[in-house]
Amino acid sequence: MAGETLEPTQTDEPTIPWHRLPVSKETLIGYASVLPVLILYFIIAIGPVAYAVNASLHEVFLLNPQWEWAGLQNYYEVFELETFWGSLWRGIIYMVGSTLIQLGVGLWLALALNKIARGQKFLTAVVFTAYLIPTIVLAFAAGYMFTPNIGLGVLQSLGSDIGLWAGNTAPMTFSQTWAMPLLILVGTWKFGVFITIFALAQLRAIPDRFYEAAQICGANRLQMFRDITLPRIQGVILVAVLLRSIFMFNKFDIIWVLTQGGPGSATTTLPILAYETAFTGGNYGLANALAVVMFLFLGIGAVAYFILFNPSEEVETST
Amino acid sequence: MSTDTPSDTDGIFGLGYRAEEKLFSRLKQISAAIFVVVGVFPIYWMLQASLTTRERASSSGISWFPTPETFTLENYEVLTNPDVALYVINSIVVTLGTIILVVLISLIAGYGLARFNMPQKENFARFLLLGYLFSPIVLGVPLYLIWQNLGLLNTRLGLIIALTAISMPFAVWLMWKYIQTIPEAMEESAWVAGASRWQGFRDIIIPQTQPAIIAAALFAFALAWNDFTFAQILLPANEASTFAPGVFRLIQRGYDIARVDVMAVSMAMTLPPLIFAYFMQSYLLKGFQIRSL
Repeated sequence: MAGETLEPTQTDEPTIPWHRLPVSKETLIGYASVLPVLILYFIIAIGPVAYAVNASLHEVFLLNPQWEWAGLQNYYEVFELETFWGSLWRGIIYMVGSTLIQLGVGLWLALALNKIARGQKFLTAVVFTAYLIPTIVLAFAAGYMFTPNIGLGVLQSLGSDIGLWAGNTAPMTFSQTWAMPLLILVGTWKFGVFITIFALAQLRAIPDRFYEAAQICGANRLQMFRDITLPRIQGVILVAVLLRSIFMFNKFDIIWVLTQGGPGSATTTLPILAYETAFTGGNYGLANALAVVMFLFLGIGAVAYFILFNPSEEVETST
Repeated sequence: MSTDTPSDTDGIFGLGYRAEEKLFSRLKQISAAIFVVVGVFPIYWMLQASLTTRERASSSGISWFPTPETFTLENYEVLTNPDVALYVINSIVVTLGTIILVVLISLIAGYGLARFNMPQKENFARFLLLGYLFSPIVLGVPLYLIWQNLGLLNTRLGLIIALTAISMPFAVWLMWKYIQTIPEAMEESAWVAGASRWQGFRDIIIPQTQPAIIAAALFAFALAWNDFTFAQILLPANEASTFAPGVFRLIQRGYDIARVDVMAVSMAMTLPPLIFAYFMQSYLLKGFQIRSL
């Protein structure tokens, strides 16, 4: 090591008087490193949101370029809208139903995958494919599987064989009863895996010796799960549930492609209502008011979730 | 209960240790069987549908698999349809661009957050995550007008920028948390040996962050390959469209695209995810070792 300098060479840039600046060079480089993220974030999130808030305070119709100041008029309209409360209710059912089922399926998958020794790689690949597969591909396939009277309508046919629906109904697009549950199930096939990935990453990090020690002390599997496994995945489950709830509340693509909010309004959630208000109804101002209200509801929900469960609390991670 | 060796009575549900073991391995086998059937079935269904003739697929009576009479490869000719080929190429370009941008920007930002003292950086990261509260619909519709003014509408670059920004909060968060687990002492010893901060970043951080880089790349891939909403809004012109809104529009317009053709092109779009899921799973898991917000 004799030939190497022992100090970092800081003298390359003598032109910038670092010592005279009010912030340190370190802090400046730090800010510079996050600058691209900030710029992107402002273009993609803050800008459009400010735009949406502004539009929600105006009477805006898509075919008319003239914006007219309306104050809070659009917001009064939102809360008087019959379809708003219906859509909010359906959105909550869709969100809670999806998240709970995804949590159950996702955890089950993670726990089982973690223990299965033979074919684990293949099984994990199958599970991850579900998450990586494009939503639209899943929607096409599911749509055909629930179409009656064609060679591809396998699930429609199985369902009618066991008497869930008549032989010639399309349960996804024509049954008020079945549209929402089926939509939740199709989503679970893909999105439950999100929870699996988070949980599995944690489970793989638990050293085997914890279980060996517990086994020697005579613990049964339930006790091991309660005292070793659960504390290690609790934090990540709370995070994943929060993210999933938000994503499902905002879900647009899979609903739009499969049912477009129908039949009737059986699967019209708030994002669908906002999209229809803007593009079918042409009432851009009202649509933006809806979007802002959606955001406020989610924000309140997320804050309440943080206060109740505090997912930012770091779980004991020493190994 | 505090015996040193497992006795025959303290298993779950009062079962003996052996019986418990047996019950669990049985449950594991049943679970695996269910996962394989439920997980593989939709993909199998797409595959077999894409290999079945149009006539058989649209006539009634379930066609479980293509028989020699109904087997055909013709459906894959849809990939040579100029419109569909263009959609697929556009999807590939957009996805690659998004992955490269996401990895570059999030790596630098993650390093900055992990290694430099900045006031409020925890809150900065949480502020980024707030972005996920906005529905893509809420962001996409105003973005249409903004992109129009910037001349980015109907360009692949415009969609790449939008998708990069959407992937960013999670990717930055992942990089930040991952780089925190790399001991700073390794860099310090490099500095002592005369390396600059850049050299330390290049030679120590980047190689060690590889799992997180691959995880962020996979995440960006999933987002870009998946995207329907943004592409639908930001690429209204047919020649700029990516796969998802493009094929959806073909179906909606009643253009001559049969169900089996849709399944063939869907199968083609499913191949890359399948390959990544098989070969990259360990990286995906390593990158996702995040415990808290």
